[in-house]
Amino acid sequence: MSWTCPFCPLLCDGFALSEGLELEGSDCPRARRGLAQAAPAANDAPAAIDARAATLDDALAEAARILSASRQPLFGGLATDVAGARALYRLAAACGAIYDHAHGRSAMHALRALQDRGAFATTLAEVRNRSDLIVCLTGSPSAAYPEFFRRCGVGEPLVDARHVVFVGGPPDETLSGVGGVSVESVALEGDLFSAVAELGACLARPPRASSLAQLARRLAEARYAVIAYDLASLPAHGELIVEQVTRIVIALNETTRAAALPLGGADGASTANQVFAWLSGLPLRSRVGPRGIEHEPLLYDTERLIARREVDALLWVSSFTPALVPPRVDVPVVLLGHPAMTPPARGVSIAVATPGIGAAGHLFRTDGVVMMPLFAVREDRMPEVAEVVERLRATMLAEDDR
Amino acid sequence: MTTTRIRNGKVVDPAHRVDALVRDVCFEDGRIVALPSEQPVDQTIDASGCVVMAGGIDMHTHIGGGKVNLSRMLLPEDHRDRGDPLELSANPLELASCGVCAPGALATGYRYVAMGYTSAFEPAMVPANARHAHMEMGDVPIVDHGAYVMLGNDELLLEMLARNEDFERVRDYVGWTIDAHKALAVKVVNPGGISAFKYNQRKLDPDAAHAHWGVTPRQVVHALARAVHELRLPHPLHIHASNLGAAGNIASTLATIDALEGLPAHLTHVQFHAYGAAGPRKFSSAALALVEAVNARPNLSIDVGQVMFGQTVTASGDTMRQHANAGLSSPRKWICADIECDAGCGVLPFRYREESYVNALQWSIGLEIFLAAADPWRVVMTTDHPNGAPFHTYPHLIRLLMDKAFRDEQLARLHPDVAAQSALGSIARELSLYEIAILTRAGPARLLGLKDRGHLAPGAAADVTLYREQANREAMFATPAYVFKDGALVARDGRLTAVPIGGVHFATPDYDRGIEQTLRKRYASHGSIRFENAAIGRDELACACCNGGKLLPVECFEERSA
Repeated sequence: MSWTCPFCPLLCDGFALSEGLELEGSDCPRARRGLAQAAPAANDAPAAIDARAATLDDALAEAARILSASRQPLFGGLATDVAGARALYRLAAACGAIYDHAHGRSAMHALRALQDRGAFATTLAEVRNRSDLIVCLTGSPSAAYPEFFRRCGVGEPLVDARHVVFVGGPPDETLSGVGGVSVESVALEGDLFSAVAELGACLARPPRASSLAQLARRLAEARYAVIAYDLASLPAHGELIVEQVTRIVIALNETTRAAALPLGGADGASTANQVFAWLSGLPLRSRVGPRGIEHEPLLYDTERLIARREVDALLWVSSFTPALVPPRVDVPVVLLGHPAMTPPARGVSIAVATPGIGAAGHLFRTDGVVMMPLFAVREDRMPEVAEVVERLRATMLAEDDR
Repeated sequence: MTTTRIRNGKVVDPAHRVDALVRDVCFEDGRIVALPSEQPVDQTIDASGCVVMAGGIDMHTHIGGGKVNLSRMLLPEDHRDRGDPLELSANPLELASCGVCAPGALATGYRYVAMGYTSAFEPAMVPANARHAHMEMGDVPIVDHGAYVMLGNDELLLEMLARNEDFERVRDYVGWTIDAHKALAVKVVNPGGISAFKYNQRKLDPDAAHAHWGVTPRQVVHALARAVHELRLPHPLHIHASNLGAAGNIASTLATIDALEGLPAHLTHVQFHAYGAAGPRKFSSAALALVEAVNARPNLSIDVGQVMFGQTVTASGDTMRQHANAGLSSPRKWICADIECDAGCGVLPFRYREESYVNALQWSIGLEIFLAAADPWRVVMTTDHPNGAPFHTYPHLIRLLMDKAFRDEQLARLHPDVAAQSALGSIARELSLYEIAILTRAGPARLLGLKDRGHLAPGAAADVTLYREQANREAMFATPAYVFKDGALVARDGRLTAVPIGGVHFATPDYDRGIEQTLRKRYASHGSIRFENAAIGRDELACACCNGGKLLPVECFEERSA
């Protein structure tokens, strides 16, 4: 059967599934892991209160009580699809919750650079059809996105000769011997901050003899260079690297064509960011406060809020994988999670369907342009995040009216 | 069955040549009906002192999709009042949403309705981004919506033209693209130029060859206009011409008109395409040359893309031109993107300043076009939201068009050379309410083929706006007394009273589905998704994208009356 894989932001739709949910045509470890975790039948106890089995209605009532009693809730995780994110915004607005994604830190690298400098980006089909030079800044993208090079058409005849550069790491072994593809490794001179600064400087001034100067020349001579990096692999203050890459791309586009290809937005991170932004006008790490919508990319960080005890309830959503566990907190938790997740000792747990496995849905691909449809490939009798959140909101509003 | 009667209002309904006649407007279950005056109704609205019009229709406004959301993300300052949050509405019907030139989807719907508009159309939907665009529009509450799909920079069409492929195949491909992406119309943006930019070409005049495909914008415009015409789409090809914003671009605008060879077309935001290169600054108004060409050709309609002073953001598919103008962005940050061998995207914040000669002249060129155009049925009021200005400036624009003294007062505040350069000061025309009703509802409805919108005859949707008549037309049009959407009262004196879900208009062309074989192969050999996942199904459109909003398929013409 046809399938869109929801387990990484490449959202591959070119591989089929067998009846037993075995992946066909790819040995992608991320897809296999996701499928293996999805394989057990639906949880016997789809809902729990304080880790004891409960009916869905009781769990919703308790969750509504937790949120109503909270003076400052945090909605974290947010690993869901468009429909889930739409519903979560309505609920967050109703209870004044701060919202941040589990991958909020890496999402902010991209967002803050965008807010300060802008962006110059491309998409997978452009890379496939056009790119004669792919520069990978944060190791091989295939480590986190196993089908990356195949999705970029590397090895296909659409582009005569492609050159792939790995900055600060060894070349990807899977590319050795691929026809029409040459690979190269360029050593970092210092850390990634200084390397991209040096690369920018090499472009601006007559290049000196160094491997980065050579890379700068290569970039300037390429017809369509693409600079790829994994947002999750950037260090703290990674937005400075993103901004510098944008400046390099802007400089290259004075004379030739080039673009950046940030990789990231897994587990619905870019989807939640886009949906919250289009509904409210502001992206993640915001809240509907008493004075209006406040956007605080630094202050509204899940880890910081919890460490500083600035929130007194946590609603955590993780519908794709059991691995995205809520942070350790001493406040009540409402978990809308993958059925294999451990219910919180204090609070509510409701198992939800995984979009792309037990439910249909939509997610944004890593390039932020293509929104892929996801299909249910089995019946798992679990509710979708959107449905649970809508019922939770209705329960809460009914409580408030009483 | 609820019935409503609006009495004592002055009805302005140009579709039926009704000009300020006091008569009843009645509706029942969302539709206008004719009721005898003695028949009792559930609700009577006394519209004494009010002008009654159909709900406003914005046929070119960027309200959904990638570039709109990127604009929001690029400009958090548009959603703040310096360091403070923007104040939100206290109305519990309104979910928190804010922004001035790039408002959230929710705020967009609330504001349009509070201003008496009941339909809004996104003119630049990229095929690869169509689901996203429909999702965002689905979240714009209350108003009906629809989108024009972008073609003419997709590598496939350019390759087909380069190969001289049978025209029928081109037409079928256009038909499939509309159908698959649930578009209402087709828009071409900088024909061939967005693609050419990907091949490092920086300028593409209408008769210049694309660096890779060798095709000219002239060929692209003609092929698409013909395809749309032969598919009998209600709205003809929607054209954003070559060389947007460039001094002297009137030559390429006229060449684009010429490329049509008499085929019907709509030229959009023409203000940005009506520049001469005369005068000491080599930038002058060519408004009259443009209007003359349009007046003489009944196959053409236009919308203006009026500029207003202040901060906004320009969001366009025209990567080539946006990149060329990136240095003018204010604040100094911008976005460009190449998209899926389909299209592009450029987002530049921009501040139109009264003291700038160029900006002030742009303002005056837009007004000249409105005031010099002979046939109001072929002119539509737009600011190309948010590119010329945010849509909430429409009431101010209406006053400029209806009030010569007010207009002259504004002109006097501008860069002094503008009054000297432009014909605006010498234009005495003041548009009437009847003409405003054409520009803002009756005309766009007709140009889009929306037979049951934009008028008040029995059978039409009960989208009705009541404006309290005032000498200050800006105040009058800013806050209508009553707004009805499909018969439901949705706003009263600027305050929302109900938030129904809007419907989605899309065209349903006939084409030979044999083209799918070619496309299936093309997606596999050049694309990044499976062909089967490209098309948006009707259920997906209604339920997943549009929150259960009504599907409003628009029929193609039986026979085209060119």
